[in-house]
Amino acid sequence: MEWTMTANAPGQVCLMQGNEAITRGAVEAGIHFAASYPGSPSSQVLGMLGKIAKERGFYAQWSTNEVCALESCMGASLAGARAICIVKQNGLLCTADALFCGAQHGVKGGLVIVTSDDPSAHSSTNEFDSRWQAEGACVPMLEPTIMQEAKDMVPYAFELSERVGQMVIIRLTTRVCHGRGNVTLGPLPDRPESLRTVGEWDRMTCVAYQHEPMLQKLDAIRREFGDSAFNHYEGPDVSKDLIIAGGTGRLYAREAIDRLHVGDRVGLMSLGTLWPLPEDYILERLKTAERVLIVEEVDPFLEQNIQAIAGRNRLSLTFLGRSNGALPRIGELDPENVTAAVAAFAGVPQPKREVPPFDTALPVRDLTFCAGCPHRATFYLLKKIMRQEKLPGIVIGDIGCYFMAGQPAGYYGYQACNCMGSGINMAQGLGQLTAYGMDQKVATICGDSTFFHTILPGLVNAQYHNANMLLLVLDNSATAMTGFQPHPGTGLTAMGDPVKPMDIQKIVEAMGCDVEVADPFDVAETEKTLRRLIQKPGMNVLIMRQPCATLMGKQGRKKARVYVDQDKCLGDGCGCDKYCSRVWGCPGNTWDFTKNKAVIDPVTCVGCGVCAKLCPGGAIQVEGGEA
Amino acid sequence: MFSTIALDTQVLKQGLCTGCGACQGMCPYWDSVDGRTVWYFDCERRDGRCQRFCPRMPTDLDALRKKFFDTEAILPEIGPFRGLYLTRAAEGAVREKAQHGGTMTALVELALKEGFIDAAALTRSRGGLSPEGVLASSPEEIRACSGSSFQIPPTLAALNRALKENRYHSIGVVGTPCKTLAVYKMMADPLPENDNHAGNIGMVFGLFCGWGLDWDGLAELTARHADAARVSHMDIPPSKYHSLDLREDGKTVSVNLDEVLPLVRSGCRYCTDMTAEFADLSVGGARSADGWDVDKGWNQVIVRTEKGQKLLDLAREKGVLEFKETPETGLEKLKGASLGKKRTGIRNLRELTGDPENLGYLNPCKGLFQDIT
Repeated sequence: MEWTMTANAPGQVCLMQGNEAITRGAVEAGIHFAASYPGSPSSQVLGMLGKIAKERGFYAQWSTNEVCALESCMGASLAGARAICIVKQNGLLCTADALFCGAQHGVKGGLVIVTSDDPSAHSSTNEFDSRWQAEGACVPMLEPTIMQEAKDMVPYAFELSERVGQMVIIRLTTRVCHGRGNVTLGPLPDRPESLRTVGEWDRMTCVAYQHEPMLQKLDAIRREFGDSAFNHYEGPDVSKDLIIAGGTGRLYAREAIDRLHVGDRVGLMSLGTLWPLPEDYILERLKTAERVLIVEEVDPFLEQNIQAIAGRNRLSLTFLGRSNGALPRIGELDPENVTAAVAAFAGVPQPKREVPPFDTALPVRDLTFCAGCPHRATFYLLKKIMRQEKLPGIVIGDIGCYFMAGQPAGYYGYQACNCMGSGINMAQGLGQLTAYGMDQKVATICGDSTFFHTILPGLVNAQYHNANMLLLVLDNSATAMTGFQPHPGTGLTAMGDPVKPMDIQKIVEAMGCDVEVADPFDVAETEKTLRRLIQKPGMNVLIMRQPCATLMGKQGRKKARVYVDQDKCLGDGCGCDKYCSRVWGCPGNTWDFTKNKAVIDPVTCVGCGVCAKLCPGGAIQVEGGEA
Repeated sequence: MFSTIALDTQVLKQGLCTGCGACQGMCPYWDSVDGRTVWYFDCERRDGRCQRFCPRMPTDLDALRKKFFDTEAILPEIGPFRGLYLTRAAEGAVREKAQHGGTMTALVELALKEGFIDAAALTRSRGGLSPEGVLASSPEEIRACSGSSFQIPPTLAALNRALKENRYHSIGVVGTPCKTLAVYKMMADPLPENDNHAGNIGMVFGLFCGWGLDWDGLAELTARHADAARVSHMDIPPSKYHSLDLREDGKTVSVNLDEVLPLVRSGCRYCTDMTAEFADLSVGGARSADGWDVDKGWNQVIVRTEKGQKLLDLAREKGVLEFKETPETGLEKLKGASLGKKRTGIRNLRELTGDPENLGYLNPCKGLFQDIT
């Protein structure tokens, strides 16, 4: 990986993942500055940039949140630096104020934002479409489809950004981030160019009178995009049936046209410059078309904007796409659903599936926490103490691995979960309702990375207003969900430099909160602590401290041997009913169907030993191991 | 139906649970918090000890007493009957700490010393607030459980834990009527695959009971009238006083019963047993027709089984108990009071089901109550 990122070998063809292509593009563009907060599917980009930053002489940072990332890029841009900010769709929304203000004041050094959308929400809680942000903020947006384009768009975006004085957003989707393709490398600059002095009269200030200049920049970009090589057309010279596609839709549509042999009459317009749309370029094809099928990921963004172009030019066309049922309204595009839509559009029979359907029933598997995950113990205890309350307890979730707690993995552990950092505020709101006789206990959760990301202001607010609630900080010493990126509590930076870690307990104490620390694996003691704190009025914080189970393997510690003494195991008998495998639910606790007894999968088990503490028959034994 | 859901929908949500603890102490699913029975996770078994033992799951009382008692001597109002006695502990120190006459403490202690039982599941009243079930295996531990509480703790959870442990093989149980009924259900209907060592139940001592109170409600009421930490004893004198008496630092604070009655635990409203009909012998405060002071400090004892009779005779022989002549009207008065509770319970059950023919958990023995209107 690292060789393909740093090799100065123009013309060399390399197989690259989309995230790698973006990274390579940034290096070829000679970036000075990179900042990001991890978010799937583009978390790898800054991880790679961090690893090569020293070698290539630029600066890379895992920022505390996306706002920090984008705004620090803007600071770098003021000095003429080329800065890249990598976020996912929620991250881009998180930066909204900075993005909109930044668009109004523009940039000096090139500033490129890479945003990765997650159609079908494979590793997200939603499938928001970033393109509306580009339209709303009046910022140009590009969307690559193949890996070569992904790489090439980055240097182009920087060049455009500097020339026009505006940020440029590159939109990726999961399949582009994680797909692989050939990339021909370009030359690398020796070093990032040296920066000029920020002059006394240099300005990047958001003021209302820059609204008009901002729109003029957009007009200039629209003209430029009319001739962009990132947009192209294949098909008959005149096509009454026109497909317009962006992103992965381009490849799927192309494949469908080939598969259905309709290339002689169905035209395919591929768009790589998504905002502002190249209006004249599109209009030229619309004028000869009768029907238009629009193939795009997530929302009918192109559909609505192209309909507007047609409307402004008084064209009467039939539009088909995601908003009228021609394509699914939600979820990811794939070759099958696009082929079905193209076949219907072209009036040809649906092709037979070339791959026979897989007819073996696969077991249904819930999303769950890893074996030995401390979150499982936390939510087990939280469920118990909330059931101990006279009135149902209220738990508000947040974003991290522990989002899964809303499902069986966490015993359906919370009633509500909004966005990252929202838990503390929702809980605070509930905790202020005592005047209305609200007597239910309120708790919320956050991870250690989320704590720094967006919990802090909420905690200040809750503490200052003395909300009646409990915040559980699930301190597993990792940004586990996205791949163990460093955060301010870890004492490491993206470039591998050791720094002074921040102590969550001290921060919380300094705010004046009552804070305690508990070990979720010490189930008996921690249950008591939790019950005491949930009943304590005012703002309480409990830090649940136990490292992420997967860190154990990473650190190469010797794990304890945990096994079931099947003579003592109560199995599915009264008094147990498969408590370890069915209720506790750790993937390490499985079932021996031949003996109707519990068994532990020694490969999956990490040796935490919590199941031994919970086993009603005292059948689970723990031997050896290092803490 | 899953066991946890069965009990939740048929007992807890119906307001029938007495908090006796019969479902607890055997598995990780059931627990008790401040007198409330709670469950944490679904048990997916369709048959289980919790369902079988619960005194508020459908029960044929008639078949159950025929199985364990001499059918010749069953009185419709107060159940199996061999005799009624007025007694009190001979030892002043026992009486001093007792609710009434200390008969129960003296009898259980004697039963332990004489080998009738080798341990006892008892309730430690702790002055009447937040009582707890304990397993006592020495006379000292038994004496520490003198006095009673209007909060009903899940004493049977302690019994179930002791049975599971299988360390004691003749455990005595002291409990209110709901608890002693559950204990007989444990002995009569063990789960075939797991009898929870029901054979280790040695002897059952019933306590007369009018009703128990909601835990939070009683705690709040006590705090309104006294310093809860200094209350050593609570009692309800005969009905004409219409009060709950709190003993705070040796002084009596009377609370109007109108404040107390709304706090009666919902599950107690559907109880038809005042005298703990399922027991070897049952003990309650004496209520003399001649007035409160005449029998104050005395107990009435109903002996129901041969074993109960043996123990009481031994107590007389050993001078552990003092006896006093039972007035002729005593039995009739007791029957009347007991019948009164049956009437109230049946009326409330009919109201709950909305059908005069439907007695809910007592449907299997509807015939016992057909004459009660």
